[in-house]
Amino acid sequence: MKFSVNWLREFVDLPKNPEEIAELLTRAGVETENIETRGAKIDNVIVSQITASSRHPNADRLTVCEVDDGSGTKRQIVCGATNYKVGDKVPLALPGAKLPSGTEIRKSKLRGVESEGMLCSPIELGVGDDASGLLILAPEAKISAPFSDLFPSDTIFDVEITPNRGDLLSHFGLAREIAALTNKKIVGQAHRLPAGGAPALQRKSVTISALRECPFFSARKIDNVKVGPSPQWLRGKIESVGIRSINNIVDISNFVMLELGQPTHAFDADRLRGGINVRLGREGEKFLALDGKTYSLTPDSCVVADQERAVGIGGVMGGEETGVTDSTKNILLEAAYFLPASIRRTARELNLPSDASYRFERGVDPEMVLRASQRATELIREIAGGTPGKEINVAGKLPANPPDVSLSCEKCNRVIGITLKPKTVDEILGGFGLRKMSAAKTAKWKIPSYRRDLQRDVDLIEEVVRAYGADKIPGTDRSRFTPASIADHAHDLESAWRERLAAVGLDEVRTSKLLPRERFAFSESAIELRNPLSEDHVALRPSILAGLLGVLDRNIRAGAERVAIFEIGRTFIPPSGKEERHVGILLWGNVASAPNWRSPKSRGLDLFDLKGALECVAPNLSFRQGKFPDLALPVDVFSSDRMIGFGGQLLAAKSTAPGAVFVAEVHADLLLMRNELATKFRDIEKFPAVTRDIAMIVPEETSHQKILRAIEEPREPLLEHVELFDLFSGGEIGNARKSLAYRLTYRDRSRTLTSEEVNAAHAKIRERLRRDLGAELRE
Amino acid sequence: MTHPLEQLRDEALREIDSASDGQALETARIKYLGKSGSISAWGEQMRTLGKDEKPIVGKLLNEVRNAVSAALESRAANFRSQMESEALGKMDVSLPGTPHEIGALHPLTQMWQRSIEIFRRMGFALADGPDIEDEWQCFDALNTPPEHPARNEQDTFYLPDGRLLRTHTSTVQIRTMQAAPPPIRVIAPGAAYRRDELDATHSPQFHQIEGLYVDENVSVADLKGALEFFMRELFGAGTEVQFRPHYFPFTEPSLEIYVKSKALKSGERWIEVAGSGIVHPAVFEAVNKARGDKAYDPEKWTGYAFGLGMDRLAMILFDIPDIRLFAQNDLRFLRQFA
Repeated sequence: MKFSVNWLREFVDLPKNPEEIAELLTRAGVETENIETRGAKIDNVIVSQITASSRHPNADRLTVCEVDDGSGTKRQIVCGATNYKVGDKVPLALPGAKLPSGTEIRKSKLRGVESEGMLCSPIELGVGDDASGLLILAPEAKISAPFSDLFPSDTIFDVEITPNRGDLLSHFGLAREIAALTNKKIVGQAHRLPAGGAPALQRKSVTISALRECPFFSARKIDNVKVGPSPQWLRGKIESVGIRSINNIVDISNFVMLELGQPTHAFDADRLRGGINVRLGREGEKFLALDGKTYSLTPDSCVVADQERAVGIGGVMGGEETGVTDSTKNILLEAAYFLPASIRRTARELNLPSDASYRFERGVDPEMVLRASQRATELIREIAGGTPGKEINVAGKLPANPPDVSLSCEKCNRVIGITLKPKTVDEILGGFGLRKMSAAKTAKWKIPSYRRDLQRDVDLIEEVVRAYGADKIPGTDRSRFTPASIADHAHDLESAWRERLAAVGLDEVRTSKLLPRERFAFSESAIELRNPLSEDHVALRPSILAGLLGVLDRNIRAGAERVAIFEIGRTFIPPSGKEERHVGILLWGNVASAPNWRSPKSRGLDLFDLKGALECVAPNLSFRQGKFPDLALPVDVFSSDRMIGFGGQLLAAKSTAPGAVFVAEVHADLLLMRNELATKFRDIEKFPAVTRDIAMIVPEETSHQKILRAIEEPREPLLEHVELFDLFSGGEIGNARKSLAYRLTYRDRSRTLTSEEVNAAHAKIRERLRRDLGAELRE
Repeated sequence: MTHPLEQLRDEALREIDSASDGQALETARIKYLGKSGSISAWGEQMRTLGKDEKPIVGKLLNEVRNAVSAALESRAANFRSQMESEALGKMDVSLPGTPHEIGALHPLTQMWQRSIEIFRRMGFALADGPDIEDEWQCFDALNTPPEHPARNEQDTFYLPDGRLLRTHTSTVQIRTMQAAPPPIRVIAPGAAYRRDELDATHSPQFHQIEGLYVDENVSVADLKGALEFFMRELFGAGTEVQFRPHYFPFTEPSLEIYVKSKALKSGERWIEVAGSGIVHPAVFEAVNKARGDKAYDPEKWTGYAFGLGMDRLAMILFDIPDIRLFAQNDLRFLRQFA
C-alpha cells in the first residue's frame, strides 16, 4: 500500500528524513519497498490559465498559447501538448524555474516564435508519472498561486503490509505503529469521535439475515448533497497514493478508508427500494457491479440488498444501478463489519478483489466502523453540503474485543534466547496498545480491538522481537549430533552417480517437471494440471526423456556439435502420480566435442557409449532386445537380472537432429538399495597371471554374449577374466561374417601356473568355440 | 716399469674417453672386453703363468677389467643421457595437454551440494517428501486454514483429483514430524511450484532447501546463529547478515534474512535470501493431531524452521541474471560451471 508521509505526519511526529522512517519500519517487519519523492519544492512555477491557442506558424506539432499569469499582461508560450482546451488552468514554469530533472527554464525562441516560459506535464514537475500532456489543474485553482501550494512536496512510501496486519492498511494505522516503535504520541483528531459523542443509533430500516457473514451494518442518510469534483486538497491526497478521483462523495469514501482503514460505501438513496437487508446471494442471482461487469452470485457470497434486489456485494463492491452519479441528491452511507473469511471467499470466487475487500479480509477495527461513518459524514457536509440524518440506522452487533493473552517473561526469554527484564517486555507491549491486566508471573494482556492477530503468547513474543530489534539478539551456536537418514544415503548415492556421469563426459541438465502438451513423448499419458497457467506447463512429466529431447533441440539450434547429457530427477507416473526417481541419458554427436591433435578423428557416440554411461550407475548391466514404438533399436535395460528401464536409438522421424540420437531412462529407486556397510578387502593376487589371445571369425549373427558363454561355460577354474579387444567385419573377411579377438587371463590364486596347464585349459576353450559355434580360429 | 696389462688399461681408457659415440664405445668394448678382446685374452694367458706370478697378475687383471668396465659404463651412461636430452630438447612442450571430455554439473546441483555440505557440518541430516501433496500437508497443517489471506490457491497448481503441487518445501517439516518424535534436525532439498508467469525472476518450478530444528529451548538466537553461520560459509566470511521481522503463518516470530557483501555484485545493497522463524505452536498441534499423540508439546518443545531459495541463491552467488537459464540447459551456460 502507498502512504503519503505528509499524511502520516498529521498523526505522528516523524523524523525529518523519510529514509529514516522507511528503515525503522523495515527493521520492524513493515517493509518499505519503494520511496518516491513527489512535488519537490519548485520555485517560479505558478498556476496560469490558457486564454487563447493557435497553430505555430513553423511547426505542425507545436501550438502558441496565450496564458494569464495574473500579472495583467498575457504571456506567450510555445507548447507541444494537445490535451488542453482554452480556459484550462495549467502549471506555468516561469523563466528562472528549475525543474526536478535539472532543466532550467529560460525565455527563448522556438522555431522563430518567442516563448516566455513552459507549460508542464505531471512528470516534468515530479508530481506523477504522466508524460503524455499538460497537468490540468482544478478549475478553482487561483491564478498566479505558487504551484507548490497545490502540490506540496511529499514522499510516498510503497509499503508491503503482511496479511496479518490489516490494522496497518491506513495512514492512521501506520502512524500508530510508528508511534509505538518510536515512543511517540498519536496526535490529531480524525480518528476520534467528536466530543459531543456519537450520533444516536437506531435499529431501523436495516436488517441482517446473514449475521455470520455480516455481524454489523450501519447506514446513515445524508440529504441534499451536491455531487461534483473534489477540491484540490482531497483530490491531491487520494491521487498521491494512487486512487483515481471520481467525484466528491466517492473520493471522501476512499479518503476515509485511506485515513482510518474502514471502507464505507455511498448509495444513491433515491434508487434504493425500501430498507436494506444484508443476506446471502441467491443461486442464479445476477449483479451488475460498479466496475461495469455482471457477476453471478451464489449462496456463498454476502450481499447488501434493498427490498427488491442486490445493491452491493458486501464488503467487496457496490452496484452500478445504485451508485452515486452527478445527479444524485440524497445518499445512504454504509459502514459495516464483514467476516474476513467470507469476504475472502467471495472476492476469490468472483475474482473481484477490491480495496475494500483487501481490508475486510484482513480484518478491520470494529471500533473504527462508526467513527469512519461519522468522519465521512462530516466531510460530506463540509465539501458537498447535505444534511445528515440525526440517527444512524444499524443492525447486528460489533464483534467483541479479542480475548486476553497470557505471557510469562520466562517463556518470552526462552523463545528469544536472551534475558530481557520484565519491565522492558511490559514497556514494549504497552507501547503497542496492550494493557497488562495482572501482575502475576504469567500476566494477562488485554488486546486492542485492532490487533486480532495477537492470539497467543508467541504473537506477543514477536512484538517484543520487532520492537526490541532482531539485530540485538546475538546468534548462538546450537549443534546436535544427527545420525544419517535414508535420504542421506539416497543423496550420497545420487551425488556419486552425478560425479561419475560427469567424469565420463556427460553434462548434467535439469529440465522442467512441468511439460507442454505436445511433449509427452515416451509415455502414453501424463497427469495434467487442473489449472495450468500457460501452454508451456500443462502436465507433470512421466518421463525425463521429453525434457532431454527439448535440450537437444535447443542446443542443436544454438550450434552444438555434441550433446551428451543426463538428468536425475523425479517423474510422476500416471494414473496415481507415483513419484519415481529416474536417470535419463541422451547422447548425440561425436565422442569428442571437437577434433584435437591427439585424436584428430573422433567416432560418433553409439549404443555402447550409452551402455557404458549406464554402467556408471547400474551394476551388472545388460541390454536385451526390447519393444518401444519410438525407438529404432529398442533395448530393455537390466541390472543384476532386474529390469530397470529402457533405451535405444531414437527413430529418425522422432527427432529433428541430424544423425543418430541415443536415449535411455532407468528407474533409479530400484538401484538405491545397497545393504553392505562397506566394500571388503580381498588379498591382492600374489601369483602372476598368464594371458592368451583368441582371434576368431564367426557368422555375423553370433553374438558376443553367445561367444562369452561358450568361453565361460562349463566353467574353467583357471580362467579369471575375458576381455573383447578387437572387432571388425568386411574387408578380407567378407560380408555376413565378423572377426573378434578376446584376451583370456588365467590365474591360480595359490600358485604360479605352468604353461602346460594354461595351454591345456586354453585348448579346451578353443575347441569348444570351434565345435559349438563353428568359429574359425585364427592364429 | 709398467706391466703390459697396465699399458693395455691406459690404452683402453684413452680409447673409451675419446669415443665419439655409442658405436665407437661398443667397438672399444669388443676390442678389450669382448670374447676375443685383448684384456680377455689375458685370462687365457693366466694358465701359462707360474705359481708366483699368477696371483699378482690375476689381481691386476681383475682391477684392469673392473676399471675398463666402469669407464665403459659411465661413458655409456653419458651417451644415453646426452641422447635423451637431445631427443627431448626438441619436444614442443607448449603443445596442449590431452583433452578429456568432463561433463559439468548443473549450477543448481552445485548450489545444493554446497548448501548441503555446510548444513551437514552443522549436524543436519537430510529429509525428503513428495512434490505432490494435499491441502492439509501444504496449508492446513502449516497454520494456513481455508480463507486465510496467505492461503493463495490462485498461485497453486492443482491436480484433477484435488491434490496439489507443493508451493513450498515446508511440507517436509510436517512429514518429518509425523514420522518421528523430537528432537529433529533436518534439511530437505526439493522442488516447489507456484502458478507464476515465467519471467527473469519467476518460474513455475523453483527449488528450495527447507530446514527444521526441534528441540528443548530452541530460540531465535539459535536460529540467528545457525543461519548467520550458513550465510557466511556460503557467501564468505565478510558477509553481513540481517534478520527482519516478517510474517509467515507457520512461524511466530517470523524473520526474513538479508545479506550484504562487497564480494557480491549487489555490493552495498541488502538482498533477501531466506524466510525463517520459530515454528508456530499451531503447527505442532496439527502434527500432534495427525500423530494421535502429544509428542510435539508446544510447552516442552520449540523449533526453528527456514526456507532457502536455491535458484535465488545460485543467481546471487554465480551472478546469473535470469532464472530461465536454469531450465533452458544451454550447454554454453552449463559448461561455464564445469
